[in-house]
Amino acid sequence: MFTDQNGFMKKSKKINDDAIMRYVLMGVASVTVLIMVFIILFIMSNSIDAVKNIGILEFLTGDTWKPSADKYGALPLISGTILVTVGAILFALPIGLASAVFISEVAPQKAKNILKPVSEIFAGIPSVVYGFFGLIVLVPFLRELFPDHLLYGSSWLAGSILLGIMALPTIISVSEDALRSVPDSFREASVAIGATHWETTRKIVVPAAISGISAAAILGIGRAIGETMAVMMVTGNSPLIPEPLWNIFDMVRTMTATLALEMPEVVTGSTHYSALFLLALILMVMVLIINYFAKVIVKRTKRKFGESTSFNEGFISKHISAGRISSIKRSAWLTLLFILSMMIVSLFTNLILSVIVSSILTILTLIIGKFSIKVRPADRQKIAHAALFAIMAFVCVVLFIIIGDIVVKGLPALSLDFITDYPSNEGRSGGIYPAVIGTIKLIVGTLIIALPLGVISGIYLSEYAGDTRLTRIIRNAIDTLNGTPSVVFGLFGMAALVIFLGLGHSLIAGCITLAVMVLPVIIRTTEESISAVPKDLREASLAMGATKWETTMKVVLPAALSGILTGVILSLGRAAGETAPIMFTATVVFQSSIPSSIFDPVMALPYHLYYLAAEVPGSTTNQYGTALVLLIMVLSMFMLASVIRHHNNKNIKW
Amino acid sequence: MNDNIIEINTLNLWYGENRALTDVSLPVRKNKITALIGPSGCGKSTLLRSINRMNDLILKCKIEGQIMYHGQNIYDPSIDVNSLRKRIGMIFQKPNPFPMSIRDNITYGPKIHGITDEKELDEIVERSLMQAALWNEVSDRLNQSALALSGGQQQRLCIARALSVSPEVILMDEPTSALDPLATSKIEDLACELEKEYTVIIVTHNMQQASRISDYTGFMYIGKMIEFGDTESIFNRPTENLTERYITGRFG
Repeated sequence: MFTDQNGFMKKSKKINDDAIMRYVLMGVASVTVLIMVFIILFIMSNSIDAVKNIGILEFLTGDTWKPSADKYGALPLISGTILVTVGAILFALPIGLASAVFISEVAPQKAKNILKPVSEIFAGIPSVVYGFFGLIVLVPFLRELFPDHLLYGSSWLAGSILLGIMALPTIISVSEDALRSVPDSFREASVAIGATHWETTRKIVVPAAISGISAAAILGIGRAIGETMAVMMVTGNSPLIPEPLWNIFDMVRTMTATLALEMPEVVTGSTHYSALFLLALILMVMVLIINYFAKVIVKRTKRKFGESTSFNEGFISKHISAGRISSIKRSAWLTLLFILSMMIVSLFTNLILSVIVSSILTILTLIIGKFSIKVRPADRQKIAHAALFAIMAFVCVVLFIIIGDIVVKGLPALSLDFITDYPSNEGRSGGIYPAVIGTIKLIVGTLIIALPLGVISGIYLSEYAGDTRLTRIIRNAIDTLNGTPSVVFGLFGMAALVIFLGLGHSLIAGCITLAVMVLPVIIRTTEESISAVPKDLREASLAMGATKWETTMKVVLPAALSGILTGVILSLGRAAGETAPIMFTATVVFQSSIPSSIFDPVMALPYHLYYLAAEVPGSTTNQYGTALVLLIMVLSMFMLASVIRHHNNKNIKW
Repeated sequence: MNDNIIEINTLNLWYGENRALTDVSLPVRKNKITALIGPSGCGKSTLLRSINRMNDLILKCKIEGQIMYHGQNIYDPSIDVNSLRKRIGMIFQKPNPFPMSIRDNITYGPKIHGITDEKELDEIVERSLMQAALWNEVSDRLNQSALALSGGQQQRLCIARALSVSPEVILMDEPTSALDPLATSKIEDLACELEKEYTVIIVTHNMQQASRISDYTGFMYIGKMIEFGDTESIFNRPTENLTERYITGRFG
C-alpha cells in the first residue's frame, strides 16, 4: 500500500511555504506596529518643547489660555472637557440605562429586534451631523427656552446635551450586553420566590450586571471626551472656567476644540505648536486611563460570570450587607439631590429662593419614596415599566427628530443636479459634486491602505504571535490608538505627513491619516472574529494534515470573514463621516474641478457641511442637503454591515 | 515483521509541571479496533492525541519516548507532521464540521493534498459518504450547509471527512459522547465496518461500547497503562485488581 515508505513523511516544500508565509505576515505586522509606535513617539517628542518652556505644572494649573500673549494655562480647557463630559454622562447614563433595561428585560422579542438596531443608528450618525443639528436646532431651542441666561445659546449645556445623545448608543449597547449576560437561572430563582418581574430586574438583574453597566458609563465618557466637531460647534469655545463652576449656561472650550481651532494657524516649531501637542498627549492619557478602567471592569465581569459559584457567594454576601447600609445610602442620595437642585436653581434666582425650592423638591422625593412602599408590587411594576417605556420612547423621539429634521429639510435640496453640480456662491447654491467624489476617494484610499495592513496584522497577532510580553505591549499600543480621539490623528497627519514629509494638503495625506485612525479598529475586529472561530475547526483541519497556513486561509478566515467585513465596513463608515482628521490634512473649502493627482487636495462632505454651517450664512438649504447626503452614505454603510452580521448570525451557530 | 502498525514505547508526557502520561507502551494491530478505557483524566485522550501529534498545538507540552509508525518514530525532527496527520486521521468528541457545504467539507482535505480534478473529487465525496453511511441521507443536498445536519449526521460527516484523504489509521476521541443512543449505535456499526480497511483506535468512557466493538482494549489509570490485551480477556478475565474493579463499576 505504501510504495513511498521511506520518504513519505519527510518534510516537504509545503512546510517551507508555511514558514515563508509566517515571515511575510510577521513583516507586515511589524510595519503596522512601527507605524503606531511612531505616532505615539511623534506626539511625545513634539510636546517636549512645551514641557521645557512652559513647565508641566504651569501648563496643568495655569488658568489663562492666551497663545497670542504666550500664556499657556490649560486648566480652562481641561476643565471644559471634564465639565462637558460630566454633564453629558449625568444626562445620558440614566436614560441609556433605562433604555437598556427596557430593551433587555421588558420589551417583547419583536420590539427588541427593532430597538437594538435603532439605538445603533445613533452611533452611525457622523459627529459633524450632530454638530450641525446642535447648531441649527438645539442651540436656538435652548436660547428660546432660557432667554435670560443664554444670549447666544452656545453653552456648556448645549455641549453636554449633544454629547449625551452621542454617548447614548455606547451606553445602551454595552449595558444591554451586560444585562443579557446575567444567567436566566437568577431571574427564575427570583420569580420563583414570588418577586415581580420588576423587582427581579431591579434587585437581581441590574445589581448582577453592575460592573458591565459601569463599563458602559466609562466607555460613554471615553466617547464623549474625544469628541471634537459636535462640541466645537455648540459650546461657544471661550477658554474660561465657568463662573460659578456649575454655571451650565456659560460658554466653555474643550481640549479637542482647541486643537481643531488653533492647529490650522499655528507656526510649526513654536511653543504654541508644542503646547498643542502636549494638550493632545494629555488628552490621550486621559482616554487611556478611562479605557483602562473600562477594560479592568469588563474583565472582572467576565471572571465573575465564568465561575458561577464564587459569583453567587459574592453576590449574596453583598446583598445581605446592602440592607444595612440602605438607609445611609438613601440619605446620601437625598443630600446629593438637594445640592444639585440648589446649584441649578440658583442660576435662575437668588440663593434663599433656591434653598427653598430644592428643599421642597427633596422632601417631595422623600414622601414619594415612603409612599411608594405602600403601593402594591404589581402596581409598582406597572409604574416602573411605564416609566421605562416613556424613556425609551423619548430616546426614539430624539433620534426621530434628528433624522426627521435632516430628511425633511434636506429632501428639497436633493436632486440629481445637487449631486452632479459644482458649488457656487461659496456653497449657497449649486451642488456638492466635488465633495461627494472627494469623500468616495478618501474612503477608497483609506480602504486600500488600511485593509491589507490591518487584516494581515490581525491574523498574525491572533494566529501566530502567541501571548508574549511583546505581543501584550503591542496589543496595548493598539488599544491606546483605538481610543485616541480623531482630532489627535488630524494633528499627527498635519505635522508628520503634510509638513514633515512634505505631502502637503492632499488626498494621500488624508487617506493615510484616516487609515492609521481605522487601523487599530480593523486589527482588533480581525483578531476578535478570528479568535471567535472554535478551536475544534482548527484541530479538524490540522488533523487532516493541512498546514497552519492552509488552515488559516481555508478554514479560519472564511469562518471569520463576515465578522472582519462587518468591522471593516463600520470603521470605514466612521472614517467617511470624520471631519477632524481630514480638515488639516486633505480638504479645501472649494473646488471647481476634480483634481487628478493624489497629491492634490480634495473637498469632502463632512468638512463641506462644517464649513457651510459655521462660516457661510444663508446656505441653510444646501447645509441640509449636504447633511442628508452624508447621512445616507454613512448609514447605508452601517446598514450593510448590520445585514452582513445578521445574515451571518442566522447561518452560523457554533 | 509483526502486524503492529503502531508501537508506542515508554511514552512520557508533561503539560507544564503536570505529568499526564507515565511510561505508556501500547501495540496497535493493523486493521483491528483498539479501545482505550479508563476514568476521566486518566490520560486516554492525551495518549490518543499523541499519535497524530495534536499535542504539538498545546504550549508547554513535553514528550519523551517513541511512537513508531511503520518503523519510523513520529517524533523524529525530520517527520512532516502534516503528511503524518493525513495518514492518521482523527474524529473528535463534538462533531465539528466546517461552516461550509457538505461537499466542501469532504473535498477540503483532498484539495489541501493536491487533488484538483472535479471528477476525482466527486468520486471521493461519494466514496467517503458511502463509507460513512451518510450518502443515502445527503446525496441530494450536497451543497447545503453542513451545520444544518443533525448531531449524529454531523459526526458521520466528520468521519467521511477523515476518510476523504484515505488515512490508514483513524483515531476516535469519544466520538459518541455528544450523541443520542440511536446515533451512537450507527457510529458503532460504522466503526466495525471501517475495521476492514482501516485501523481504528477509539477512546471511550462507555465500557459496553468498548466491549461491543473493539478487538483489543487498554485500561488506563492516572497516566499509566494498567492492562492491555484482547477485549474478551480484559473484560472477562482481567489480571489486575484495578481493572476488575473499574470494569465491574466499583469506581470511575
